[in-house]
Amino acid sequence: MGEVFRALAVLAEPPTVESSSIAHALAIDRAPDARAYTELFMLTLYPYASVYLGADGMLGGEPRDKIAGFWRAIGAVPPQEPDHLAALLGAYASLEDREAEASDPVRRESWSHARRTFLHEHLLSWLPPYLIKISEIAPAYGAWTTLLRDALANAAGCSHVPENVPSHFRDLPALADPRKDGVAAFIASLLAPACSGIILTRPDLRRASHELGLGLRQGERRFALEAMLAQDPPRVLAWLHGETQRWLTLHRASLPIHTAREHWIERTRQTAALLNEVG
Amino acid sequence: MSDSNFIRLNERVSAAKRDVEARGETFYPGASRIHLAAFPPKERWDDWVELESRTWPQRSERRYMLVPTTCFNCESACGLLAYVDRDTMGVRKFEGNPEHPGSRGRNCAKGPATINQVTDPDRILSPLKRAGARGEGKWIAATWDEALDDIAARIRRAIVEERENEIMYHVGRPGEDGVTERVLAAWGVDGHNSHTNICSSGGRFGYAAWMGYDRPSPDHANSRVMLLVSSHLEAGHYFNPHAQRVIEGKNGGSKLIVIDVRLSNTATHADYWLPPIPGSEAAVLLAIAQHIISTQRYDREFIRRWWNWEEYLIEERPEEQPAFETFERLLSRMYERYTFEFAERESGIPAATLRAVAEVVASAGTRLSTHTWRSAAAGNLGGWQVSRCLFLLNALLGAVATEGGVYPNAWNKFVPRPIYEPPHPKHWNELTWPQEYPLALNEMSFLLPYLIEDGKRRLEVYFSRVYNPVWTNPNGFAWIDMLTDEAKVGLHVALTPTWSETAFFADYILPMGHASERHDTHSYETHDAQWIGFRQPVLRAARERLGETIHDTREVNPGEVWEENEFWMELSWRIDPDGALGIRKYFESKKRPGTKLGADEYYAHIFEHSVPGLPERAAAEGLQPLEYMRRYGAFEIGRKIGAVHDEPLSNDELAGSEVDALQRVFSDAPAPRGPNVVPQPSPRDPEGRRSVGVVVDGTALRGFPTPSRKLEFYSSTLARWGWREYAVPAYIESHVHPSRLGEDRMVLISTFRLPTQIHTRSANAKWLDEIAHTNPLWIHPDDAMRLGNIATGDLLRVTTESGYFVLRAWVTEGIRPGCVACSHHMGRWRLGETGQRQFSAVVRLDRQGEVWNMERTAGVTPFASADSDTKRIWWTDVGVHQNLTFPVHPDPISGMHCWHQAVTVTRAREGDAYGDISVDAEKARAVYRQWQQLTRPAREHSPDGTRRPYWMLRPLKPLPAVFQLSDPTPHG
Repeated sequence: MGEVFRALAVLAEPPTVESSSIAHALAIDRAPDARAYTELFMLTLYPYASVYLGADGMLGGEPRDKIAGFWRAIGAVPPQEPDHLAALLGAYASLEDREAEASDPVRRESWSHARRTFLHEHLLSWLPPYLIKISEIAPAYGAWTTLLRDALANAAGCSHVPENVPSHFRDLPALADPRKDGVAAFIASLLAPACSGIILTRPDLRRASHELGLGLRQGERRFALEAMLAQDPPRVLAWLHGETQRWLTLHRASLPIHTAREHWIERTRQTAALLNEVG
Repeated sequence: MSDSNFIRLNERVSAAKRDVEARGETFYPGASRIHLAAFPPKERWDDWVELESRTWPQRSERRYMLVPTTCFNCESACGLLAYVDRDTMGVRKFEGNPEHPGSRGRNCAKGPATINQVTDPDRILSPLKRAGARGEGKWIAATWDEALDDIAARIRRAIVEERENEIMYHVGRPGEDGVTERVLAAWGVDGHNSHTNICSSGGRFGYAAWMGYDRPSPDHANSRVMLLVSSHLEAGHYFNPHAQRVIEGKNGGSKLIVIDVRLSNTATHADYWLPPIPGSEAAVLLAIAQHIISTQRYDREFIRRWWNWEEYLIEERPEEQPAFETFERLLSRMYERYTFEFAERESGIPAATLRAVAEVVASAGTRLSTHTWRSAAAGNLGGWQVSRCLFLLNALLGAVATEGGVYPNAWNKFVPRPIYEPPHPKHWNELTWPQEYPLALNEMSFLLPYLIEDGKRRLEVYFSRVYNPVWTNPNGFAWIDMLTDEAKVGLHVALTPTWSETAFFADYILPMGHASERHDTHSYETHDAQWIGFRQPVLRAARERLGETIHDTREVNPGEVWEENEFWMELSWRIDPDGALGIRKYFESKKRPGTKLGADEYYAHIFEHSVPGLPERAAAEGLQPLEYMRRYGAFEIGRKIGAVHDEPLSNDELAGSEVDALQRVFSDAPAPRGPNVVPQPSPRDPEGRRSVGVVVDGTALRGFPTPSRKLEFYSSTLARWGWREYAVPAYIESHVHPSRLGEDRMVLISTFRLPTQIHTRSANAKWLDEIAHTNPLWIHPDDAMRLGNIATGDLLRVTTESGYFVLRAWVTEGIRPGCVACSHHMGRWRLGETGQRQFSAVVRLDRQGEVWNMERTAGVTPFASADSDTKRIWWTDVGVHQNLTFPVHPDPISGMHCWHQAVTVTRAREGDAYGDISVDAEKARAVYRQWQQLTRPAREHSPDGTRRPYWMLRPLKPLPAVFQLSDPTPHG
């Protein structure tokens, strides 16, 4: 299945003239254009695992180090951005290739173990909710999203994926409580998907401002959310609570292919409970 | 989606990929993270579209033709891709060439900065002829014809009058493999003069003494331990290709040990940084060797098979039993004095640290990659023992020509056999190969002013070729003295793309091309493989892709800039227009006899006949070999060359051969004509038969091109030519050894380089100049305190044996206490407004008898030019020219100029100004005389009446008879 993952990876890169032929090979009618790519990956949903797996919800840090460590552990040189979605899918394809090419059964099993671990730790841990969000906001990537989700489900179904909690989630701090930790910390952890269980994009905040009739401050999401909370805290908290309920439905409706699903559901439930208390 | 559907989809994508790649095209494009590719796919190099950055945020497209060439800054020969604008047919930028096996698409800052050199508003675009006195700074335009006729007439006259040794070509980094050497050979002139004795000959000598070849090719990427004596990640010819492989090695878990007085960029990446007292490096290495020997961690079988231990026993210990066990016992005894405590006393590094490092080295086994090039080997009296002792570690561990170990360079380098091979000259030039230095690995170039003065000799025509001895060499005032004296130098021709301090003192300045304006083939030892790179005038290649025919590179280059190959061919025709001198025949077309050879035919012949696999590879893409090289710029001939020394000799090679008592195989059959003519040492037996191999355990193997045909732990050459005490790897106390330094003296390290400059060649690159443009004196806080609480920025006077210079302090813990350091590249100057303005200060030069003084009258200032950036120049300081104050220090064995200086550092005196320089030429001459006393000349020490061991490498190798000291032919 390596070539499918590799081709899907290329479509998560800036579009080129080759994108059409690659999309065609994947039976995708139309490759996303540069505008759709920029809107999605450059401005809205950064395609880096560290953003969705880390306690800070930001690029780099421990999640990226862990992924780079995996590359080194298998004797490969980590690329400059080892946690970029394209790099991760490309790496997974390479692991499939190595497994398929290994003639010695012991080596083949060793590569198989590496592939399954990689799938468990660094792909299935964050991609299901990430793909849910893409399918909500980027219709141009609809076919690509469906295919990638199916490919992941297929890979998970064909493999004995470990059943423990991915290491990224083991020492994650709890969602910050605004009453004890302050509003800034609370907002920061709300915007860290691995902590809050939900993915809040700038279009989501724009939607909130429309629905609540509040002003939307330009700049980073945390400033925008902080400004909205300052304008009308109860209604903003209620809106956020509604988001958690929506995400609970989405998580529960997603395919039960991986243990990470429970983490996302549990974190979303805790966030909902906290919002309920402070709202 | 079901499993079977997924399998079908996967097969569909795989089939699409196969189809595209079968057409020689790229399925997955760059830039892509999936395979680390960030390069335009090669099938789109004819028409590559990018958004124009200058019209942002408007999205306007620009179309480019991508044409490969090779960088011409340092000697690594990294691949570049020139982006030729299809609308203007001008080069817009340079990026890396992903098809290049050495650099793999990655470049250092100097590669992309080639565009600055091409567009430098101060570059020289047409031939210039001096109008006033030499050095007066007055120039008039000249035509190429005028210059060529004048130069050719002088050279012809010198050849006809048998004054061949009055013709000299003095080269900096060649950037090519042997073309100009063959031009000189065709003229019958022993006039090749390299810069190598101010550069790397110390390092080379140590390697050559071991394996005949004078350069190593370390396999860092596959090593377990890397041991580097210098700063490879920022300086050195191997800067980019080796740096990327050093990092690959580190990422693979290899330990990095760096021995360097300074905390260099490389040292910052090291697992162990050892900053020794300068000159003690060999002592440190010998202590590590002693540890390996005493703990019996050495590769016994490798040593038994490949060291010349039998010869050592026969020559040095004839009273002992000639058995390997005897040698082991003696080896152990020989090195027992090099304890960690001894090394601590010499180097100042704690014995415990040295022991820990020795353990790491010992654990490397055959995956020890080591390297040194300049650094300590170029700094110290006896510096050549640093590379000899470093390679001793490889030889002990058997890490020679192994994966992760060190290969001889010639096995990882490919020099294709050219269209013509003129014979070597019938003369010996004493100006470059004087009898006082019979073992010097390279020409004694930096002594030229003294050799001319002492021998009352002269040069009729002196070419300085992309070389700047007035600035680069030690004792530059002696060069000015020589170049301004027309009785000593009849005609000075500067072949240079840009202004230099040496070009100021020329009669003609002839503009030569940069990386994108000249043809060369070039190969380097970057890893265990053989490849060639092709430098080409990219606009010529671009126009030819569009169907034009270009006959002369001046048709496409900026202004009247020429390339050297066509220049040399034209000059040779004018020297010998009717062919009577026997020169012209080497520059004639083979396809159209009687007409001039052109660049296309010259390189087409090489690529069709001398590069194995290239014609087939080109044919697979429907191209001629020359077309292939013009399209891709590089070709890999082979990978995993492996242990050539261990290859059995073929029956053909053994036919008619004889084996002597030391099991060496000699043959009087002519050498086979292979396609690779990489320079090889040429050992022979007394009867003049070629050495072809050595019998090891009953099998005739190829071995190494040394006199013993083995790795020479014992150098019979050193022993027989008067240096018996240094015939085995040993420690020579440096001229800056603490016992020789006065109380107030410190060691000045002047050789280190900055990652964004390359000698004087990069001075016309504005991006590089903005990044690095000054050279303050590195001084440790302890020393700064001791010398009077000196702070960063304070003005200091540094006094050498022959003068002083004034510069500012930079107080840093990144240097060993007791040492100071001042970087290379900086302190460029010009005598007036003419010159390269963004990186040179205006100076006033004054001479009172033997005392020269230089003072800075103006720093760099913004100026209006065709490049609007020159108005934005914000720096004024370009550093201080320290080399002027260094007298020559010729190593009596290797011939290397030993750069380290014993200096006093004080606060500047009243009246001192930044950039002041003063030199007493008489004191400088006296230092030369002192060092001359150390030599053991051929006339007193030659074992066989020759000038130099015949087997050693020499760029031009005169006929064997001319090696005889008694030979009556002209010698200079």
